[in-house]
Amino acid sequence: MSDNTAKAREIAKKLLQEGTVAMVLGWEKGDEPYVSAPTVIRDAADVDRLVLDEYCIHDRAALLPDYRDRSEKIAIFAKGCDSRGIVRLIQDRVMPRERLYIIGINCPGMKDPNEYFRAASGMSKAKPAEKAAKCLSCQYPNPVIYDEIVGETQQPRDDKRFAEVDKIESMSADERYEFFIKEFSKCIRCYACRNACVACNCRTCIFDETKPQWVGRSTDPVNNMLYQIVRSMHVAGRCVECGECERACPVGIPLMLFNRKLIKDVDQLFGPYQAGLSLEDDALPPLSRYRVDDPDEFM
Amino acid sequence: MKVLPSDKIREALNILAGEAKVYAPMVQGDASGYFQWSDNPVGELLLDTLNTYMSPKNIVMPQTEDMYKFVAQGKDAQVTEVVYAGGPRIIFGIRSCDLQALHDLDLVFLTKGYEDEFYKARRQDLAVIARACYQPGPACFCESMGVDRLNPQADVVMHDLGQQDFAWEPKTPKGEEITAKLQGILVEKDVTLPQAAEMKTKVDITGLSEKLAGMFEDPAWDELASRCMNCGVCTYVCPSCYCFDIQVTTRGDAGGRFRCWDSCMYKEYTQMAGGHNPREFKKERFRQRFLHKLQYFNERYNANLCIGCGRCVIMCPNSVNILEVITKLKEVRLDA
Amino acid sequence: MHDHNHECTCEDHGHSNPLVPTMVKVVKITDETPDVKTFYVTTEDGIPFKVMPGQLAMVSQLPVGEGMFSVSWQAEDHLQFAIKRVGLLTEALHEIEVGQTLGVRGPYGNGFPVDECKGKDMLFIGGGIGLAPLRSFIKYCFKHREDYGKITILYGSRTSADLCFKDELFDKWPKEKDTQVYVTIDNPEEGWDGHVGFVPAYLEELKPNPEGTIAVICGPPIMIKFCLQSLEKMGFNDEQVITTLEMRMKCGIGKCGRCNIGHEYICLDGPVFNLAQLKQLPPEW
Repeated sequence: MSDNTAKAREIAKKLLQEGTVAMVLGWEKGDEPYVSAPTVIRDAADVDRLVLDEYCIHDRAALLPDYRDRSEKIAIFAKGCDSRGIVRLIQDRVMPRERLYIIGINCPGMKDPNEYFRAASGMSKAKPAEKAAKCLSCQYPNPVIYDEIVGETQQPRDDKRFAEVDKIESMSADERYEFFIKEFSKCIRCYACRNACVACNCRTCIFDETKPQWVGRSTDPVNNMLYQIVRSMHVAGRCVECGECERACPVGIPLMLFNRKLIKDVDQLFGPYQAGLSLEDDALPPLSRYRVDDPDEFM
Repeated sequence: MKVLPSDKIREALNILAGEAKVYAPMVQGDASGYFQWSDNPVGELLLDTLNTYMSPKNIVMPQTEDMYKFVAQGKDAQVTEVVYAGGPRIIFGIRSCDLQALHDLDLVFLTKGYEDEFYKARRQDLAVIARACYQPGPACFCESMGVDRLNPQADVVMHDLGQQDFAWEPKTPKGEEITAKLQGILVEKDVTLPQAAEMKTKVDITGLSEKLAGMFEDPAWDELASRCMNCGVCTYVCPSCYCFDIQVTTRGDAGGRFRCWDSCMYKEYTQMAGGHNPREFKKERFRQRFLHKLQYFNERYNANLCIGCGRCVIMCPNSVNILEVITKLKEVRLDA
Repeated sequence: MHDHNHECTCEDHGHSNPLVPTMVKVVKITDETPDVKTFYVTTEDGIPFKVMPGQLAMVSQLPVGEGMFSVSWQAEDHLQFAIKRVGLLTEALHEIEVGQTLGVRGPYGNGFPVDECKGKDMLFIGGGIGLAPLRSFIKYCFKHREDYGKITILYGSRTSADLCFKDELFDKWPKEKDTQVYVTIDNPEEGWDGHVGFVPAYLEELKPNPEGTIAVICGPPIMIKFCLQSLEKMGFNDEQVITTLEMRMKCGIGKCGRCNIGHEYICLDGPVFNLAQLKQLPPEW
């Protein structure tokens, strides 16, 4: 991938030197070989900090809302999933298209630096996976939106996205309840999933409201379940499957399971539809727009 | 020396659990932490890793803790019960870093004008069986934070002899009491304590707290905060982060006040009712966390709040690294 | 004025658990302004705890929540809280009627330096609801009138309807010995023939003499900032200027972490600070 690093630096240097953008959102190496940390480059002289390697798993688009109230132009490196996140942000009017110079990365799949750190530190006996879990069934490894592209075109992986969903769906109601309560009981309500999510960009999140307080803060099964279910429903139709929520979770809750269930449902009920693929008007999330022919058999 | 053989650990824990709440490092799926032991535990014992993802602070400071119950009907209201979770507790297998964090929590909750009665109830009858740490990881820097990883100040100190056999050293009268309970299990053996591997990661914090006192407005914070997403994982896995929220829950006329973990990373942490928020922006919250950890706590309690366990470094989804932050802050040249 | 040592124990504060409230009854409610009410509370056995001027207490409507408020006066047999309706809890408090049971716990905070100010001329500067904590000090001075010199009260609000404690402001206080009261509102109003203009501007007009004077300011952060600048210009030194800070508070006892400015907890080491101490703190308020 070192060719990509060289290309990335070249592109960033040109953009900064010509003043096309005020900053470049990319990655730089950390102290450990398996850490490529998100970074912001503002000066052409600093572009040699940039890297593009197999540890660049972070969704750079998730931090774009930090710049929503400003006006400068931003260059952002975006893998397939990241680019879908950018489409979402543009559709949510968080960031206008004109402010972004998107350097797309045709993504061969990433490794999870946290898995490597956990293993190297001795905190975990589990061997880190060759490819991060979130990359295994990726259907959009090539960016759907970009101003220029880095890397060879990739093929979508084997679509096993709904294998786990089907397994749960085939459980009885009681079995399903047991399964979910067990998973939700682990939740410590750190809200990392929400903060990592590119679709979660409300200025005031429902879980921060006090008048009324929709979900209590205690970590009992009921409140945990409410939190998880409400958040999943809020991002239903808007989840771009970047998997950052599940990666951020410190207690290993299978968050993508709930999201994928809803992706499947939205696709079947209102689709075919996958979020974040296009900026066309009719590609808005089905739950964000009304059409006369929307299905209503369930009402 | 006495030895706790690996095939007797469950039995030992069961004996101790007969008379106290015992907390041991355990793992459930991907979630590891210090959970309560029973002879049919949820999850498995985890004694062959460096440490657990979640720290043992939940033993004295649970994520959600009932404080008191009340009844409120019309114009009347009264507190019906104040909930104290007292009784004997034992932490089994805690590392020196986490034990140091526990001492920091004692400083917060038991000193400076008020004793937190809820914390006190959980803490006062807590026996500590610690594990000396011979194999630090790349994210460990407890020695730089003043932690003695081979000689934790505990009631009993265990040493990993390999294959999860532990040398067992009672250090206090309470430790002797516990040892007596395990008489039938501990065996007397000649042991060679393991060689302690060097802790490769070091950081020099001499003078850091004093330097930070003049760096509140430094532009370095903008750059340092840029990759943080205020997700709060660092504060939740940290063994010495203690900020909490107080909330109320009601059902009909009855209700209760409880407290739960909170985080300076969240925007509403300092949100005031009138609309003013002194830490509106991410950089301000990021700065608060690191200044608290590296300066304010030192100034107030004369102790280090960061104890170098490395959890935040390992678990941060966006690779924020406190060692990197310290290094960069130290490099900043302040104008004379 | 504030110390890190806090050698006192829970028993000194009159309750075995500082996080559990005492029940009190609301015996009287008065409307100060369209969104400020004063609540008079007490127990069957009198006041739940003694409060020095500037100290705070947590007031709870049990099913709704708890909030930190300054005690605007501790009378012989009741406590007074002037509370502005701004959020969830205060809205609920504004709905209650006389006879309601509430929870209170306290007193918290360091209070005003009533002893160190003896013999000085006092200049009280307040804005909006900021008069509530000042009032406890003002009334204390009047209660011990001989201990203090000249008293000047400068107070302003957005409109005349928003002026708190009107009867004391216009009727009682001006009649006290060697006391001047200056009131201002932001914009001209029909029927108002008093001063018009912001408090910091009025302060500059009045040109108070700093010699032997202590200035005590309380109000919105922006007003405090401008007044501090003006007082400095007029020659007040840092020890002569006192203010009370406000932060979101939950525990009230310096444990939950959120009300810190630097290493000071506003609920425990504050809320009262003089300008010298303020300048030692990070500008985070």
